[in-house]
Amino acid sequence: MVETFTPAVCGSRARQRLALALFAAGALVAAACVGAVLGLAGSLAGTRGALIAAAALALLAALREAGLVRLPVPQSRRQVPDRWRGELPLPVWSAGYGAGLGVGFLTFQPVSTFWVACAGALALGRPVPAAACFALYGAGRALMTAWPRRRQTDPAAAVESLIARRALVTRANVAVLVVCAGLLAAAPASGATVVSLGTGFDPSVDGSTVARAQMDGGGSQVLVQPPNPDPAVEIQPAAGPGLDGDLLAYMDSSGIRVVNWRTGAQVGRINGAVSQPALDWPLLAFRRDDASYDRLMLANLTNAGSPQERQIAAVPAANDLGRPSLRYGRLAWHRIRQRDSSVIVLYLASGRRRVIARSDVWMLSNPAVAKSRIAWVEQRSGIGYLRLRRLDNTRVRTIATLKGRPRFFWTTALAGRNAYVTRWAPGTQVSTLLRVHF
Amino acid sequence: MRRPDEILDGAARSLSARLASGMTRRSFLGRMGGAVLAATGGAAVAAAIKPETSEAFHFCGHIWTTGSCPNPLGIPRIDRNGYPLRASDGRPIDNLGRLVNAQGFAVDGSGQRLLGPDGEPLPRAPRTRLCEEWVNERYGLNAKTQGAWYRCCDGQIRKLVDCCSTSPKRINGDASLTGYCWNGNRVFCVMYFDSGLKC
Repeated sequence: MVETFTPAVCGSRARQRLALALFAAGALVAAACVGAVLGLAGSLAGTRGALIAAAALALLAALREAGLVRLPVPQSRRQVPDRWRGELPLPVWSAGYGAGLGVGFLTFQPVSTFWVACAGALALGRPVPAAACFALYGAGRALMTAWPRRRQTDPAAAVESLIARRALVTRANVAVLVVCAGLLAAAPASGATVVSLGTGFDPSVDGSTVARAQMDGGGSQVLVQPPNPDPAVEIQPAAGPGLDGDLLAYMDSSGIRVVNWRTGAQVGRINGAVSQPALDWPLLAFRRDDASYDRLMLANLTNAGSPQERQIAAVPAANDLGRPSLRYGRLAWHRIRQRDSSVIVLYLASGRRRVIARSDVWMLSNPAVAKSRIAWVEQRSGIGYLRLRRLDNTRVRTIATLKGRPRFFWTTALAGRNAYVTRWAPGTQVSTLLRVHF
Repeated sequence: MRRPDEILDGAARSLSARLASGMTRRSFLGRMGGAVLAATGGAAVAAAIKPETSEAFHFCGHIWTTGSCPNPLGIPRIDRNGYPLRASDGRPIDNLGRLVNAQGFAVDGSGQRLLGPDGEPLPRAPRTRLCEEWVNERYGLNAKTQGAWYRCCDGQIRKLVDCCSTSPKRINGDASLTGYCWNGNRVFCVMYFDSGLKC
């Protein structure tokens, strides 16, 4: 390829630079697309098995590159079509060559490392980071067309000198593959990563913005943390945040208040013995409690002066309907009675109710619903699980486990491929917010 | 070569199993015979073997037969209706193993309701019967509490209760016995209720 991008072939030095730039762009974009597709496929398939497979593949590739085992590498031995240079304009063939080499599997593969990278992207299960990582492969392809010519007048000779050091490159490749195998094997066994976000409870998430409640001396406050560089916002006294974009519903001493958390402007209010708001503007789900019944209500705040309310569910006050979750036209809540517990979803458009999970023994609680998934806590004696399932599939996954009687999982939130859960220690009254990437 | 206590144990077990399997429904004499045999055989085995080597010795009055029903804290103590109790003091617990008050709310040792992270009292957790709900959900059976027998434990009469189902396997994983079950049921697991009556 270095012999293709010369002033003689391209027509001039300016056209050579243009061809190199377009080749690099084509390689970068094509490699990023491959990474994105693999990351998307990984996100649909689940990452647990893919992680194990990627680690095994990296180890196998290291053995192959070290010459300890003989394995064929899936590849196409074709080269880029030479006729393009004669038939197509320079911007097209140079970008096309870049794309052809950038996707990786259309041309000759001297080592098996490319396929380990594919397995890694699959295991990552996140399209954007996988695309970013894979773009580096395209960058490498582009670099190898430009770099050899920097010190030598004959680019072909530069490539020959690089090939002469093949043994060193191979050893470095083996070392990198072994490190990859180790890192992939050491990745969290569940395929989910758990990160502590500090003290707090009752999480509510919209995109990358996280709201939580925190105990502050005798009272409580709500902390809204948008992504950097926006500053965090504290609201006091407040509890039970429900976030939707720039709007935040929270409990105060006289009921539920809905405000623009960036400006502080109030946009809605529900007074009385109400609690646990969940906001999907203009809809607000909340609990209304009286001495006899615990009711789950849904209000439409389009006309904030006189919101329309309707009752969704009610149980005797000794039972519990918990903290609702409202997103994408779906309302989820739990119902805990002495004889059983259930996680229920109501599809607001159709009015259809579905029992997502039910148990006569364990306490299923605090669901969080997102576009295609629902998460909830299953608390057993001495062990708690954060469960997850797709709304269109009955298979249930466990994405976090908490063993030991002194600590429990509590309220949850769900956004994209991140679940948030409160970890609570009754003995110390310390609650910590965890983010679980799955 | 089997030890003498193992021979005695095995003979008592097989005889008891044959009697229990062969007795007719609601056969009072059969049940009594099984109870007497279990008592005499059990006492002999208990005297012969070390407790730490016997996995089947899991609570007073019940030796070498069917295992405990699933329960919150490891010992299948129940109240007269089959709901879980804490084995150490007989206080009611919920399915998560927490002490509860008369209304079923989780409390601390002094009876104060437990609070959540927000300072509000915790909601009730399920509190369900070990046989009818726990066994049925965890093992997919249609189990029910049936027969019982009695022992003297810690100076009071203990009622040992069979949780029965139609399953040919018991909770141990091997073949189930008829025990004190009836209507074609067999013992899946066992529980106990301390009566408080002196013996």
